[in-house]
Amino acid sequence: MQNVKTSVIGSYPVKVNNLELMKDYFDQKKSSWNKYIDKAVNNQIKAGIDIISDGQTRDPFVNIFTRKLKGCRIRGRTEVIDKVRYIEPITVNDQRYVKKIIPKNKEIVGLITGPYTLTKSCVDLFYNNKKELAFDFAKALNHEAKNLEKYVNLISIDEPFYSVEMPEYAKELIQTVFKNVTCDKRLHVCGDVSKIIPKLLEMPVQILSHEFKASPHLFDKFKEYDVSKNICLGSVRSDKTTIETVDEITKHINCGIDIFGEKISQISPDCGLRHQARNIAYQKLKNLVIAGEKIYG
Amino acid sequence: MFSFTKEQKIIDISGIHLGGQPGVNPTVLFGGFFFKGNADFNNAKKQLEEMYKLSKKTGNPAIPDFFIKKDELMVKIIDFIVENVPKNYPFSIDIIDPKLKIEILKILYDKKLLARTIYNSIHVGITDEEQDSLKKYTPEAVILVAFNPKDQSPDGKIEVLESGANLTSKGLLEIAKDIRIKKILVDTAAMAPGDNSGAAIAAIPVIKEEYGLPTGCAIHNVVEKSKWLHEFEIARKSVDASSNVNIPLFGGDFAIFGPVENINLVFPIIAWRDILISEYAENYFGIKPADFHPRRKLF
Repeated sequence: MQNVKTSVIGSYPVKVNNLELMKDYFDQKKSSWNKYIDKAVNNQIKAGIDIISDGQTRDPFVNIFTRKLKGCRIRGRTEVIDKVRYIEPITVNDQRYVKKIIPKNKEIVGLITGPYTLTKSCVDLFYNNKKELAFDFAKALNHEAKNLEKYVNLISIDEPFYSVEMPEYAKELIQTVFKNVTCDKRLHVCGDVSKIIPKLLEMPVQILSHEFKASPHLFDKFKEYDVSKNICLGSVRSDKTTIETVDEITKHINCGIDIFGEKISQISPDCGLRHQARNIAYQKLKNLVIAGEKIYG
Repeated sequence: MFSFTKEQKIIDISGIHLGGQPGVNPTVLFGGFFFKGNADFNNAKKQLEEMYKLSKKTGNPAIPDFFIKKDELMVKIIDFIVENVPKNYPFSIDIIDPKLKIEILKILYDKKLLARTIYNSIHVGITDEEQDSLKKYTPEAVILVAFNPKDQSPDGKIEVLESGANLTSKGLLEIAKDIRIKKILVDTAAMAPGDNSGAAIAAIPVIKEEYGLPTGCAIHNVVEKSKWLHEFEIARKSVDASSNVNIPLFGGDFAIFGPVENINLVFPIIAWRDILISEYAENYFGIKPADFHPRRKLF
């Protein structure tokens, strides 16, 4: 697969040993999280994935960011209680660690949860103005993106809320996050994006990523447009435990080729695999890789 | 000087009152009994008696905290409790290994000791088997350790009580509620120096204001791990004992003050601190100290 690479969207399931964390606490030792990153990364490598993520093992994708942004506090949901500001790197140390442990022929995708998704996922007790909050998230995430690009090959913004509700300033938010960021950029929007395709095609990213496996009708919808962006083709479901066969995935990718041709630059699961059992997540990735090899060599 | 807007729950464990607004009840002191190798139960008996004497003198309630690490000592320690902790006096059982925790609950039930037991502790490492065992053999009270490995700040401690920080399927408070434990104490989880150790103290008023539950911690652990203090041998013991005054000063209700050997330093220091708090709490808020408060006994 010279030009088309296998990738992941973000999260990967790992089982955290709570008792071990408690034993470290009772011994007053600082716990290391590296072993959980190792598990996620090694599984992706073993499955043959080309573009690896850190697995987002620490927290769900919203909390990873809101935990470290000033102005947020986590209760049942994240509450915004003050002006949102970037005070320290959020995922950079984990990505730096991933860079150390992967073989040189592998690439890394840095993951950023989008500002609109953060806005919609939080309880706003401070701004009372969704747009202002979203742009403060975007400015904070821009700092993270600039720090992150030193260690990754690609940065992917995850904005699932765009498929539900796309604000008129959606493009501007993505521009803000990626201001002065020079590495490759991907926008992942899962869900049914059929109604927002024209807006997605205007986004300041090279790659669009969508869940084509769960929403195959997207093929027909995209057919109506002149797709100038590269495509990351969701090819196995992240919400179902059934493991897609290699033949099924091959057939699906071929459907994608009929629509997008050489614009397909990545094949991946539809979304993060956090909610899958580890063996299922692994097998899904492995079959994806085999299917990709069958098609692209 | 402060009092909480949230109504404060006072729990009664075998006559010992824990919790409330600053200045009402004296700080409850948990003295640690650690047995190693050939456990010296005769010495432990003397220390226990000494601790109760000091408690009577100062008015600060004393609860022995029995640390159990090995199963071979488990029955001996329980026998020691039966023989030496006065009838109806509470004690706490401090165990890390979940298998031992399950075993001890059955023994405590068989010996009819559960009504006096403070279970130390429930935390994110709780197993399903341990929860089942706690439902079957429910102790009188539990200590919830609000340790959040993802966030050591007061907010992180609230998160683990509230939701389990995605480490457990529900928060520690809900876990305790499902087990039907009525008397809950919160330990704010003192961390090693350099790892937001001060947050254990800062979290006391935050947690009391949020939940109104009796709250405290083992802040002396931070002193033990402050290696630079080893150069100051004379001061180290004083710092260890006096670290506990931070707890009542920040509105806390109990101190797990470490080895029982430290009683002669800890009890007077805490009694002194409690008297000061009571004075200003009464002067400013009109809060009267309880009948058995050090201010009534010593001043």
